[in-house]
Amino acid sequence: MQRSKKVVILGHFGVGKTSLIRRFVTNQFSDQYKVTIGVHISKKVVTLSAEESISMILWDLEGTDSLDQVRDAYLLGTHGVIFVFDVTRPSTFQQLNSDLKIVSKKLPERPLLVVGNKKDLVSEKDLNELLLSHNISHDFLTSAKTGDTVEDVFLNLATLLNTDA
Amino acid sequence: MLDHYKQDYNKQRQQFVLIDQLGLVLEYTGILLPIKKGQNLKELHPFFESLDALLAMPNPEFSFYCVHLDLGTEDLIADIDMVRKKEGMLLVIHDLTEHYNSYQAVAQARNESIINEELIVLKNTELEERERFKNLFIQNFSHELRNPLMSSMAITQILSDTSLSSEQEQLLEVLRDSNTHLKLLLEDTLSISMIASGKLVMKNTLFNLHKMLDLLSFTYKTKAKAKGLQFTYKAAKQVPEYVEGDRLRLYQVLTNLLDNALKYTVKGSVSLTVGFNQQWANKVHLHFEVTDSGPGIPEDKQPTIFETFSQLASPDKQQGTGLGLALVKGLLALMDSTIVLHSATGKGSTFSFDLGLKVPLQSAMQQQIDIGSAATSRKMGSPGRKYKLLLVEDDERVLTVLFKMLMDSDQFYIDVLTDGGEVLETVIQNEYDLILMDINLPNTRGDHITRIIRDFPFKNVKQLPIIGMTAYAYEDHMQAYKEAGMNTVLAKPFDKEELLQNIFMLLHS
Repeated sequence: MQRSKKVVILGHFGVGKTSLIRRFVTNQFSDQYKVTIGVHISKKVVTLSAEESISMILWDLEGTDSLDQVRDAYLLGTHGVIFVFDVTRPSTFQQLNSDLKIVSKKLPERPLLVVGNKKDLVSEKDLNELLLSHNISHDFLTSAKTGDTVEDVFLNLATLLNTDA
Repeated sequence: MLDHYKQDYNKQRQQFVLIDQLGLVLEYTGILLPIKKGQNLKELHPFFESLDALLAMPNPEFSFYCVHLDLGTEDLIADIDMVRKKEGMLLVIHDLTEHYNSYQAVAQARNESIINEELIVLKNTELEERERFKNLFIQNFSHELRNPLMSSMAITQILSDTSLSSEQEQLLEVLRDSNTHLKLLLEDTLSISMIASGKLVMKNTLFNLHKMLDLLSFTYKTKAKAKGLQFTYKAAKQVPEYVEGDRLRLYQVLTNLLDNALKYTVKGSVSLTVGFNQQWANKVHLHFEVTDSGPGIPEDKQPTIFETFSQLASPDKQQGTGLGLALVKGLLALMDSTIVLHSATGKGSTFSFDLGLKVPLQSAMQQQIDIGSAATSRKMGSPGRKYKLLLVEDDERVLTVLFKMLMDSDQFYIDVLTDGGEVLETVIQNEYDLILMDINLPNTRGDHITRIIRDFPFKNVKQLPIIGMTAYAYEDHMQAYKEAGMNTVLAKPFDKEELLQNIFMLLHS
């Protein structure tokens, strides 16, 4: 059985939302940063078992300085959320808790995964110190560039969405 | 006719599509999306697949802005309105690709600029942190070296006053050279660290430039001769005798350049030239040049030789810290000057710089020379009288050599303490002529004791001359100790002559 699930990818600009989706959907990566304006929508079918699969409709939203600025229409009918921050730029995770509160307010009771991207640019030791010092609780640390842990994020969310259904 | 144009225009930029609850196209106008009646829109693009949930919602209308509908051949960027009608859902698609593409360029520039700025700030913070760590390390490292070096220098001096065999004399000479070299390296390391942390301040005082240049000439003629090299020194006749500037730092720049030239030159010559550029008002502009006939510096290495810890392989395998030229560059920058290098492989090297120095007015100059002479005359001890000193030092090695230095002069009675906590009581119960005190003492620090002494109600204690001794030779530290009330602060390592000069200067003032 296959069901469609709308997933929105949120986060500040330049954190690598588009790159994560591109890595997951087409297994490609580009070093060139192209700003997303509005919304790009793509799709990938995730097979969970012989009988079950989920068609993930991925809404790659324009990055904003504050999540308050996200247009409500983009969030209508959302089933799951991925919030992405850039581990190399503190401005993208310094307000993480208040950002997540906004997400929970706008999209209550939706499965939400918090992802720190660009882990390839920081040593593991520095990364752990950084996350600890900023008291950041995350679900996954990824690298869209190398593909590290990217698949895990989407498969995990697909499982949550399947359970949630 | 206008209606026709309008229709034609709208057809290009707008599309109306009526769909049922399942997403099947009931009717449509326009050509933006390649659709057919009866087609399920979900098959066209994932955007329409995610509208299922909306079709079930009671809202009368929805609007989506700036939706990228990648249809394979071209990327359509559209605003999409959805209005509930009795026949189904009406979709109005507005093609705004051109508009959004121009906005995209603006957003791209804005975001890139913000991200770059952020990354520069982060990079700077990281560099500052590294620099801070490095300077702290150098500071501690230099501190730890100063006490043993002080002992080594003092014992060398004490030994040289004893009767030695000729072989022992030679060995002692090697030891003296090593001490001097080590002291210079330590000073250079500290100077580099002070420049990097912005703590080095130039001190403009009147000094005899001719004397300084003569001293350099004499020193390097001797050094060059020992290496079988020629040394020439030339100065333009307009070079003034007295100038105002930082003598110590100018001396440091020139010795580093000359040492460097000697180090890399195996045969031929090294020269020091001081030229006259111009004199405006009370400022003279001089041109300093150090030239050698060494192997020269390859062009590709030239940009990096002024960096810290950078050095080329020397022909006689001499070791170095690679700090010399970095120090020269840093010191000259503080003097508003720049080092210039002309060199080519096999053709030797010329390091030069222009420097503006103040030339004092005749009357002010005479006044300062008089003050200097008076100070020099006070450096001598008075025969016959012995002074009572309190020596406070917790490092046993330093204490031993200081005690020996002072006793050998036969001009002092000395009491010794090793604990800062005992100083006040001892000072109150005894009458001393001067206190010679380390800063970093156990229980109570030397600068803290000095503050208490200066606040004391009795004049004989309150005005007691105090000489501080410290291995923390940063200028801001030295200044802080003086502000605490110390009359003079000596940076370790210092020699017997420096110590006695400072003691008598205070005792006779």
